[in-house]
Amino acid sequence: MNAISETRDHDRETRVLLIVPAFNEAQSLPALIHRISSLYPHYDIAIINDGSTDNTVQAVREMPARLITLPCNLGIGGAMQTGFCIARDEGYDIAVQVDGDGQHPAEQVHLLVNAILQSGCDIAIGSRFLTGSGYQSTLSRRLGIRVFSLWLSAICNTRITDATSGFRAMNRRATELLSRNYAEDYPEVEAILVAHRAALRICEVPVEMSAREAGVSSIGRLRSVLYMVKVSLSILMCSLRRPEITR
Amino acid sequence: MPAYGHALVFTTTLVVFCFVLWLVRRRSIGERFAVLWLLISACLLVASSVGYRYLFEIAKFVGVPYPPSALFFLAIAGLTLLIIELFAWVSKLNDRTRVLTQQLAILSERVNRERATAGPGAGR
Repeated sequence: MNAISETRDHDRETRVLLIVPAFNEAQSLPALIHRISSLYPHYDIAIINDGSTDNTVQAVREMPARLITLPCNLGIGGAMQTGFCIARDEGYDIAVQVDGDGQHPAEQVHLLVNAILQSGCDIAIGSRFLTGSGYQSTLSRRLGIRVFSLWLSAICNTRITDATSGFRAMNRRATELLSRNYAEDYPEVEAILVAHRAALRICEVPVEMSAREAGVSSIGRLRSVLYMVKVSLSILMCSLRRPEITR
Repeated sequence: MPAYGHALVFTTTLVVFCFVLWLVRRRSIGERFAVLWLLISACLLVASSVGYRYLFEIAKFVGVPYPPSALFFLAIAGLTLLIIELFAWVSKLNDRTRVLTQQLAILSERVNRERATAGPGAGR
């Protein structure tokens, strides 16, 4: 019995929602949804269409996934938060974030779900650097990720190697917290800090990522600098804020 | 300052005060900013009439050798505070709009799903 079928057996009672934020991902979404629904037929999929201007709606309409279309573009943070609100309101046990560009491996979603169910952590982050295999990103990005990972590791007193990874699973406590408090732009790093300050447990799971299947990254060269500045500032500001209380 | 210069400053601030009153009456300025603007225009009115003669003494007291500079400093400081207040308000509005957008999308999807489940012609 392989790992996925083991997962199917032991977590059939667990309600899992896969949140896929999508902005102009019409090319890669159908294949992703097809892969997820064939691997995990008992998981629900919510595509958060973040005001796409391509034919994302048409591409997803006939697929086995819920399509939530935001009337205007809110950015990755707003789109993900919409998914967290759905997971919270509809009582999902676990919410998993999977990017719509095909970078996150659908066949490894169960590793994150298992980490939540078995290790008792509240947030499981898929890290591409624990194994060192698969797509590792460019040198400059790796350097930036390393800086933030070391910084967060020091603050959270937990080893974090892939602070910017958006491939992560969250249990109800984490979903409820992040549905109330999630940064608008570049939210991944700040979310870890928000969770840590609310006394949630964070763990990492080794995963293998791929290069994006279609489209271009929203973070170009100039934006990379803005990213570093904005995320650094948000870490500092978040450290100064009063911690959120989990319900 | 010559009398006509003084009259010009007073008339200008009076026009500003009346304009603010008119906007408040028409509810073009919301309650939150109405009080603030009424206060600002009232202060300007007082400063341009009876308060003007104290400007030199106030400037001397705070150590500004050129009195109009004290006036500019106060004006710029006040405008800066106002801009910060507006930024805070815009951020709050942005948060509210985000929540509304999210809820609108969630509810729309829910309605569409229920309509699809109920079959064609449902809800008409």
